[in-house]
This record gives sequence, structure tokens and C-alpha cells, in this order.
Amino acid sequence: MSDKKRGLSKAREIYLNRSQRVRELKAAGKRIMGYPCAYVPLEMITALDLVPYRTCGDMKEPVTEADRALPSSFCPIMRTCLDCALKGKNDFLDGMVTIHSCDPQEKTARVWESYTDYPYFHFIDMPVTVRPEALEYFEGQLNDFKKTLEAFSGKKLSTGTLEAAIESHNRQRTLVRELYELTKPSPPLVSGTEIVQVVKALMSLPVAEGNELLADIMSEVQTRTDGPERKAARLLIWGSTLDNTDIMQVFEAKANVVMDESCGGIRAYRAEVRRSPDPIEGLADYYLNEITCARSFRQAILGETRKRYARDLQSRFGYLKGIIKEWNINGAIMLLVRYCDPFAFEMPSLKDYFDGLGIPNTYIEYDYTAGALAPLRTRVEAFLETIS
Amino acid sequence: MAGEKEKRAINRLESMRPLRAKVNETYLKSVEAMQAGKPAVWGMLNFYYGDPVLKAMDIEVVYPENYGAIAAATGVAQQYLDRANADGFPTHLCGYSLTTLGYASRMMKELKGQIPPEAPLGGMPKPLFLMSSAAICDARYKWFQSLGRYMDAPVWTLEAPTPGVKEFFIEGYYDRMVDLGVKHLSSFVTFVEDMVGRKMDWDKLDKTANLMIEINRVWHEVNELRKVKPCPMHSRDFWSAMPAALFLAGDLEDSLGLYQDMYKEVKGRVDSGTGAIPEEKYRLVFAELPPWHSLSFFDKLAERGWNFVIESFGYRPPIPIDLSKVSDPLERITRFNLQFFAGYYEDARKQNVLGGAFAYPYLKYAREWKCDGALLHPLISCRSASTHLPYVSNMLMEKLKVPSLSIEGDIVDLRLFNPQDALARAEPFEETMEHYRKMRKQEGLDW
Ligand code: SF4
Ligand code: SF4
Repeated sequence: MSDKKRGLSKAREIYLNRSQRVRELKAAGKRIMGYPCAYVPLEMITALDLVPYRTCGDMKEPVTEADRALPSSFCPIMRTCLDCALKGKNDFLDGMVTIHSCDPQEKTARVWESYTDYPYFHFIDMPVTVRPEALEYFEGQLNDFKKTLEAFSGKKLSTGTLEAAIESHNRQRTLVRELYELTKPSPPLVSGTEIVQVVKALMSLPVAEGNELLADIMSEVQTRTDGPERKAARLLIWGSTLDNTDIMQVFEAKANVVMDESCGGIRAYRAEVRRSPDPIEGLADYYLNEITCARSFRQAILGETRKRYARDLQSRFGYLKGIIKEWNINGAIMLLVRYCDPFAFEMPSLKDYFDGLGIPNTYIEYDYTAGALAPLRTRVEAFLETIS
Repeated sequence: MAGEKEKRAINRLESMRPLRAKVNETYLKSVEAMQAGKPAVWGMLNFYYGDPVLKAMDIEVVYPENYGAIAAATGVAQQYLDRANADGFPTHLCGYSLTTLGYASRMMKELKGQIPPEAPLGGMPKPLFLMSSAAICDARYKWFQSLGRYMDAPVWTLEAPTPGVKEFFIEGYYDRMVDLGVKHLSSFVTFVEDMVGRKMDWDKLDKTANLMIEINRVWHEVNELRKVKPCPMHSRDFWSAMPAALFLAGDLEDSLGLYQDMYKEVKGRVDSGTGAIPEEKYRLVFAELPPWHSLSFFDKLAERGWNFVIESFGYRPPIPIDLSKVSDPLERITRFNLQFFAGYYEDARKQNVLGGAFAYPYLKYAREWKCDGALLHPLISCRSASTHLPYVSNMLMEKLKVPSLSIEGDIVDLRLFNPQDALARAEPFEETMEHYRKMRKQEGLDW
């Protein structure tokens, strides 16, 4: 890729040709490790000098190969991810790390492992509650992951290198949060579409290169004069994965998306791994407790024997309240990928929560195909009219 | 006349009838008890994990998944589905979950906690708490969490570790699963004690655990007898008899005696060479949830010589494991629960079937029960019972040359399963089964 490009234009270039950098790295002798989900602890991959690469799908590519093993009424994100893999689009991968973040991911992992022959394939089981015994189990899972990854890489994972990797990834989280700070002004200094490109670029690069890119982007954006236009609506999008600019542009045609609470936005960067004498313990805690995805079962008080709905909502969605206030959000869109059960079950409760905060909101379902964009646009426009 | 013919098509087990009657009687008794004010819990099928705890505490449990099937069969489900959709739950969610959510909405929002008068079989009263489970699908814990919109009932989500086939053999892995299971169950006991205001009777739990394990061992042995030709017991008897073992419905001592009677009857049939259908031409495996409302479809197939000799992994007893030396009942329960999945892992690894517990069992069944074909029943709104079926079908063909026939249905939209169409597709499938019989012979497979 062209070295002349920097900052946002470089992010855009990587977004459009995601695998180019890892292919170069592979040619230079690096090994590339695929992962499909924000729950895979990338720090361990980085620390063993492997390059993590998020395996995404392609909205524009009709699913054909994945039909061999997954039914059509199944998470379209997982279907397209697997489809791309089976079509050889990730032929540079040396291995794949999958995780039980939801049932479709677990099922897809089985098929993925059976139908491909990467030199390395590992599945991390993940509990659904955030109880102490679940955390302990998850820590055991990460220690197993460490063992197999060490065997594959032929290196020992020392505490020092893992801590250094945690620091780099935490740095990336901080930088992404700082980038989101720049969506606070009106108009925002960076658009939701640009952030999708940046985040996807980060998922395609070694962490150090990603951090350099982010630092560049920060200085560019802070002083830019060609930022997004001010629109009447300042939106929060909440959903599982929003990793495609075509989708984001549907929202941004008539609104500023100032917060993307999804795996293509801030979700994997909103918190960070705390320092802990055993870094794996810190990682287990971060990945199980700190990433707020619908897949986890959360309660206000663990094992509560009295329940109040308002308190329940607060424990599940409370993190959104501060965001809404600080980013001065005036509309929320719950974007649901069809057949995604963990997020679909949240919809009415999250609506209750938004209603309680007095935030206009709507729920829109689509199937992650290019054909879904036109109806999506109609729904978004209808919603924007109600809030203007 | 049709009724008489149906009776003859499948030679049903006599011993199934008292077992079934017991389950029905227990159900009615518990409805009466709940109507009289005894606290009830809504539970998810959890594979011998949380249920023995509730059983030992003498708590009535209703299973909304099962109730969803009843609501569908009696025609009241639609109004609940509509209500759940109107409340904002997406239509593509599990049909049973939508039925329950709509039911809860009607009961709590409209009727102020009264059981809806149209609810079949006495309805489900407002629960004291909810016991959800992470096993099998995401719906089964997210759905109960969503019920918080309608009722202030605390939820306990039971963990269900799901290892990968290779990963399971990493040193210490199984022990860590046990450790999680025991600690989790122990916290669950404390939660239940707090909820009902009573302490656990540990001797009773010990006895309950042992009975549960023994019932399921006998039940497993009954099914092992079905490997012989002709198969002495049809899947219809399996489905009728399973609730006592799977949900611990009814008095456990009674159930044990009744399963023992069933063993004797099936063994008698084996000894006398009596099959479950008059002429067994084809032996089949069925996956997963049967079309509950159209079970007579199997009678039609029986008339064509189709015997269903093994079925539904999700309902089967675990492969027996000796737990007699495990003194702590919580650990015994945990190990028994883990065995439901883990019992298949050793073999799955040897056969290099990485599809995990959902896929490997069907290969085992087809091979050991010597099946000519598989009838797969994907369900539009229960993805968990459907997702693995294409993979199962590929594996059966690739490894065993056993063909599959896939017939779509649904758990709430009962019209989707059309017995006439299904029968029309069954006939040509016989030729396919014949063809692959020859192929298996050529490949050196022994059936
Ligand atoms: S969380 Fe939803 S969108 Fe993401 S993989 Fe799971 S089912 Fe698919
Ligand atoms: S999706 Fe299927 S397995 Fe899951 S709760 Fe619904 S009916 Fe049960």
C-alpha cells in the first residue's frame, strides 16, 4: 500500500483492501492469526509475535459456500464470515481463534474448524454469567489458550511480554476513546463512517501499527477544516456489528452518528485491561466483565433474590446514560441483525431504558446484505423525521 | 378404522402407558398445588443440573418450552405471539419464547397477575423465580431475562460449559468444568434456600441424585436394546416415555420401577424377535424436536416399513458413568450433567468429528443402531434444533454413506409441517436408502 497515505486516507485505504498489510507481513515471515469476535484476547496473540486479524464477512458477496453447512435462518454475520473463509479469502491465515461468545459463534466455530485446515485452530469456551466461579473458569480457558498458542508459536509467553502487549492494546483503547472525544463537538470532527474505516483498519493491523495510525489520525482530525457537516440529529447506534461504511452512510446521509456502540465501533475499546499480578487474570476480568455485549447475563446484584425492573435496566444498560449526556445524543437506533438472538431479546427492555431517559429511539432490523440498504434507508429517514 | 390401523402400524409398548399416565397425573397434581398457592418456578430444560435441586426442595417446576408446545397444539399460541410482537420482540425469535413473553404480558399487564382464562391445562402461575440455562441456545437465558419486563421474578442462570472437541482433552480441562459446576450449583442451592426460606435437606438431595442417575442408566439400557434387528421400540415410545427421566417428572422411585418394567418388556421383545413395526424395511434416526402435533405421521411411515430406532440427541440420557464413589451430591450431579455432552467427546475425537456434541452423537447412532437413513426436522423458529443439521447430514454421508431427508417444520407455526408433502418426499427417499445400502457394502460398512 502507498506509504504516502497517512491518517484517515490511509485508514480508508486499509478498509478497502484489508488483507494487504497482513499479506505483506506474512511474506516477511510473520504468522497471522484470525479471530471473528471482540471477545478473543488479542493481547496473547500479539505477545507471541503473531498478528491478530479479525475475519469479517462481505455484505456484497452472496453467501454460497456457507450454505453447505449453515442454514439460511442463521446469524447473517456468521454466515458471511464463514462464507468468505470457505471461499479462500483468508488464505493467508496460519490459524484461527474462536470463542463461545454466542451460540451462533459456537456453532460456526465447529463448522469452520471441520471445513478448513489451518495449522492452528482453538476454541475458547466462555461462561454466560459474570459470577466469580464463571470468571475462574474463564481464566482457566485463557490459560489453556496460552498453552496451545505457546506450542504453536514455539515460544513461551512471559509475564513481561504479555504485560507489554496489554499496554499496547490498552493504548489503542485509549486512542480510540480519544478519537470518540472528537465526535462530541457539533459538528463532530470525525464522522461515523470514518470511524468505521479506522476501527476496521485497526482490526487488520498489528497493534503497534494501529497505534501509529491512530496517533496520526488524532493530529489530523484535531486540526482539520474538512470535517463532517452539522446535521440536526446526533445519533447513537446500538447493535452487534456495524462494520461497513455503506450501512453507516445510510445513517449519516441525514444525521451525525456520534457514537457507535457495536463491535465495529467503540465496544472493544470502551474499557481497558487493569493491571494485575497475573496478567491472565486481568484479561479474564476485562473480557468477561468489561465488554458490554448482550451475550452476557448481568444482574444488579449477583444472585439477587428481589428484583426491580428499573434496577435491572440500569445494570444492563446503565453505561449508555453517561454517553447520551456527554455526547449530547438526541436519537438512538437499535440496529438488529436478523436471527441474532442475544441482541433481539434486549430490544424491548432497551427501548424502555431509552424511553425512561426521554431519548427518541427506534428499532431497525436488517439482514446484512446490500439488498437490505434501501429499506434500511426508508426506516432511518422515517425515524429522523420524528426527531427533527 | 383409521384409528385401528394406526394402532397396528406401530406396536406400542404397554409399559410406556403407566409411565406416561404417571407423568400426566403428576402434572395435574402440580397444577392443582400451584393453583392452591404452592410456589412455582419456571424452568428451562437444564439436563439434570438444576432440576434435582428443586426436586429435593419439593418445588413445583413448570417448563415454558413445553408449555409453548401445548399452547401451539391447543391453538392459543397465536394471540401470545402477536402480543409479544406488539410489545417489540422481533418475530424471528424462538416461537416458544415469544409464546411465553406474550403469555406473561397478558397475565401481568392485562390481568394483574391472574392466569389467563384461555390458558390450556390450568396455565402457568406467576413464578417465585426463574431458572434459566445457558445450555443449547442463547434464547434459553435471554428469554428469561426479558421476562423482567413483566414480572419482578429473580432469575438464576445456570452455566453450561461447552468445550471444543480437541480442547476438552487439555490437561485439567474436565476438572475445571467440574469445579465450575460444583461451585455454581452450591451458589444455586443458597439462592433457592433464600428464595423459599427453607434449608436444603442434603440426605434428600443425595437420594434424589442417585435416583436420577439410576433412572437414566436404566433408560439408557432400554435404548441400547433397540440396536437389535428388528428394533423392538419405536421413537414414539421414546418421546412418550422420556419426560420422567429428562425432567424428573413424577415420583422418582415410581419412575425407576416403571423404567425397569419397560426394560423387561423391551428385552422380552428382543428375545422373541418382536419388532416395533410389523415389517422393518428401513431403520432410521430422527433429529431433533419431533412434530408433536403430527406424530401420527410416523404411523404412516411405519406402514411403509420405516422403523425409527434412535432419535433426538437433546432428549437422550447421558452415557452411563460410574459416580458411586463421588460422595458429594453436588459433584455427582455436576459430573452427571457434564456427561450429557462430554460422554461423546472421547469417541468424537477418535473419529475426528469436530462438530462437537451436536453432530457426533448422530454418527454414533447411525453406526451403532445401523441406520439406513436420517430424517432431519429443522424448525424455522428454533435455530438451536436446526443449525447443526446440515453439518450432521454432510457427516453422515461423508463418513457413513447414510443419506438424510430434511423436512422443515416449526414449533409454533404448525402448518409448516405438512404430513402429506412429507410423505410424498418419503417415497423416493426409499430408493436413495436402497442405493446407499449398496454403497455402504462396497465401502466395507457392515449394514
Ligand atoms: S452476537 Fe448476534 S450478530 Fe454477533 S455473532 Fe452472535 S448472533 Fe451473530
Ligand atoms: S430456540 Fe429451541 S432450544 Fe432454544 S429455547 Fe427455543 S425451542 Fe428451546
